[in-house]
Order: sequence, then C-alpha cells, then structure tokens
Amino acid sequence: MAEDDSEWIIESIVGYLGSPEWVIPVTDFMENKCTVFDDEDENKLSYTDIHQQYKKLVEKLLENYMQEVGINEQQFLDACTSPFAKSKSLQAVFQPVLATDDFQMFRSLMVQKNTELQLQALRVIKEQNGALPECLTDGVDVMTELQQQEMKILEDVLKKSKEEYDEEMSRRLLIEKQMGSTSSSSSDKPNKGDEARSAALTSSKQSNTSKPTLGSSVQPNLLPAVRAPTKSSESSDANRHQAEEQSSSTEAAAEAYLEEAHREAGFSKPYTELSPSQQEQLQQRAAYLRQQRDKLHALKREKQKSRQAAEPEEPSHTPPLEPATNLEISAEEKKKLQKRKHLADKLKEEVVKK
Amino acid sequence: MGEAQKGLLSVIEKLKGSTEQEVRIVLLGLDNAGKTTLLKTLASEDVNTITPTQGFNIKSVASHGMKLNVWDIGGQRKIRPFWKKYLENTDLLIYVIDSADKKRFEETGLELSELIDEENLKGVPVLIFANKQDLATASPASEIAEGLNLHTYRDREWQIQACSAVSGEGVQDGMNWICNNIVNRKK
Repeated sequence: MAEDDSEWIIESIVGYLGSPEWVIPVTDFMENKCTVFDDEDENKLSYTDIHQQYKKLVEKLLENYMQEVGINEQQFLDACTSPFAKSKSLQAVFQPVLATDDFQMFRSLMVQKNTELQLQALRVIKEQNGALPECLTDGVDVMTELQQQEMKILEDVLKKSKEEYDEEMSRRLLIEKQMGSTSSSSSDKPNKGDEARSAALTSSKQSNTSKPTLGSSVQPNLLPAVRAPTKSSESSDANRHQAEEQSSSTEAAAEAYLEEAHREAGFSKPYTELSPSQQEQLQQRAAYLRQQRDKLHALKREKQKSRQAAEPEEPSHTPPLEPATNLEISAEEKKKLQKRKHLADKLKEEVVKK
Repeated sequence: MGEAQKGLLSVIEKLKGSTEQEVRIVLLGLDNAGKTTLLKTLASEDVNTITPTQGFNIKSVASHGMKLNVWDIGGQRKIRPFWKKYLENTDLLIYVIDSADKKRFEETGLELSELIDEENLKGVPVLIFANKQDLATASPASEIAEGLNLHTYRDREWQIQACSAVSGEGVQDGMNWICNNIVNRKK
C-alpha cells in the first residue's frame, strides 16, 4: 500500500517540479542572481546570501505545494526515497531541490546558468549586429581555453537536444497525418504548435543548406531558445520595442548596471577615482550587461506570452499529467490511464475520508 | 521535537540519502595563518599558488569512511564578521594559528574565545593547529595552549596539534583526532 502511495506522490511531485508554478519562480531567481557566479575556485561571500535566499524560496514553494496536494513531509520524504525516485532521469529533476542543502550543487547550477545566459546574450548581439563589438571579442572579455571548451560542449548539447526534439515532433506530425484528423476537436491546439514547429524545422533546414545573406532575421547556428521568439519579424519588432521602452524608462537601472560592471571588474576604488581607460572599460561592460539583460527579459516575456497563448488554462490542483498526446491510445497507454484513474480514485477516497 | 516540526529543509537534507556519513568542518583563524594552505594540503593539492582568501573555499575530503566537507573562510579583519554565517550545523571547528606571529597571539586568542561563545558552536569540538612549525621562530604548541587558556575549556572536546601545512607534518595526526572524535560523538 505504502508503495502505491509513494508512486502517485512521486508522480505528482515530478509533475510539480516541471510545472510553471515551480519552474518560473526558480528560473527567475537563478537568472536574476547568477551573474556574480563565476567558475573561479574561490567562492565569493555573496554566494552564501544568495544560497540562503534560494533555500527560503524553495521551502516556501514546496510547503505551498504540499499543502495544496495534501501530503505531509513524511510522505514527501518517503516518496522521494522510494526506489522509483532513484532512477537517473528523476535525479536530475530533483537537483534544484537538493541544491538547497548542497552548496556545491547550488553553485554549479548557478555557474551553469550564468554561462548559458552569457552565451545567449552573445548570440543575440551577434544576430543583431552581425558581429560582436570589439570589447567582447578580445582584451576585456577574453575567454580562457577551458571556458571555450565548456561553451562548445554546451552548444553541442543544445544542438543535439534540438535535433532530437525536432525529430520527435516531425515523427508525431507524420503519425498524426496518417491518422487523419479524427480527433481534431481535442488536438486543435497542439496541432498548430506542431505545424509551427515543423515549419521552423524546414526553415532551419533550408537555412542550413543555403546560407542566408546578412540581414535576414534567421541565422543558421542559433540556439532554439533564442531564436524561437524572433521567428517572425513582427515579434522581433515587439522585442525591440520592449527593449527600447525598458532602456528609456530605467535610468536608475543604468547606474546599477554600471555598478555591477564595476563590481565584476573587481576594482576596489570607487568609480570616480579610476583612470579614464578603466572608466571606459567599465562603461563598455555596463552597456554590455544592460544590453544582455534587456534582451533576455524581452525574449522571456515574449516566450511566456506565447506559452500562455498556446496553453489552455488548467486547473492547478490536479496532479499534472503528461501533456495529452493526441495519438491513438495504445494498449499500454490505456493501462497507464487506468492506473492513473485508479490513483485519482484513491486520492479522492482519501480526501473524502479526511 | 516531532518529525513534522523540524522543518522542510531537514527533510531535504535526508533526501540525499548517501550512505557516507558527512561531516561539516569550519576552518577559521586570522589572515595569513595558513588556512587555505592547510585546506589544500588536506585535499592533496598544490600549495604554491595561494593568495589571500577574499571569500571562502570548500573541499570535500574522504577520510576514515567519512566525507569531510571543509569550509575555509577568509581571515582578514573585514571578513571576520561574516564567519558567524557559516557556523550553523557545524560538527567541528578547526582553528589555525601562525605559531611564529607572536605579535598577534592576543588578537587570535580574542577571536577564538568569541567563536567559542557562539551559540551555533555550543559544545562543538575544536582542533587548534599550531601552524608554521617549520619556521625557526615558531612557538611550541604547549606554550600556545597555555596562552589561550585551553585548559579552561570544560564544555567541549579540544586538542592542539603542532603542524606545518606546507610540509604536511602533523596534519594527519590532527585529522586522526578529528575522525576519532566525530565517530565517538555521533555514536
């Protein structure tokens, strides 16, 4: 019995850890705080405060979740220590939770996030300017060989995952076509998404074979995450709009960026006492940081908007299931569904009993 | 105190479920005492490129079937106020003293006695490394122990160990004391 319990609990937990209620605040936190995390051997004192804040955030989120679902800490713990939760694939899901207790793990997550953001920012700048400004290519911002290797690995991984994703999507599309649109009412929305994605796939294939001229908005080697919102010229216009808005309305932020650049550069003297060349460097760095933030925020808003538009509202209290596939239900899936129904019944029963 | 009242983070702590026993050790002392050098010696790393620590370093060392997570926090005067942020859940304190820096014996004694009074370190065993014994001007450990009034510590296990972090001499003896002590404590 206990095992059955932990099975639905763990399914629910994993679902929660993949849901926007968890992902958005945690990702937001990491993206906002990761800039001070570098891969130096020595840790900065400020890491500790950020780790504390992270602990509080995760604790709050999980407490809310457990209250909502109606499980206590013991059940949570039992579920998480059950053999089912020990599988490799689930361990990755639990990493952000474990990072509350493991500073080293937290640090590596933050360093990784920082690298990702910088990489994205560099790509956005490259995309818009055609080339990187000088201050980002040599001198101030020279990357060590190690970092370059890491970035290359990261790129490869991202590329690979996009390929796999596209493959999966086109496969589904194919099956769908073969099935005809008998289930059109239920699959309306995902279908559109698939079409859009397959269109993206073909367009990226085209651009891979015939190199686009400079100035076309789509470039071949971009990360999927970055390019997705800039597919249509319309949305990239909106991006620019937002970025402009932001930069004009945030005078105070500009100072903050300058300060951050100042801190990152590790100059101990106040800004005004630095030599002109150092000041200039800082200005450049600040401008770069500002650009990076603005763009990423604009992109994210865009992404979120499109996600919200694409996803129908779901009641949040049911344990999130996997996105309903619109393929014909195989025997195995039927079994799975039955099992879920069974679990739901059981859950209901327990709630009613209480 | 019941299980449910201990808070969520203690639950998460158990999630790691590692079979290894983990021990949290904090390594403190004045600047230039040799904390980072000691840390690197413990981790069998190169000790020739060490610069003053502005933040903190962490190394995990496997010893006697335990995983020792050693936190080395910078010792400069302006960083010392941050020490107390790192004391929570600490199983053991290592305090490092530059045995040749007689002028600052008083200062290091004051810092140590402040640590001993910290609520988070209540009853926590302390190992004092009388470091830099390779220098000719180093005071012997017994003399330092007397100066620190170690014999008045009644509320915890303590030990003073002469060592040289650079040569590694005495370091292992100190670690053996730690492991024996932790094992006794946790049983």
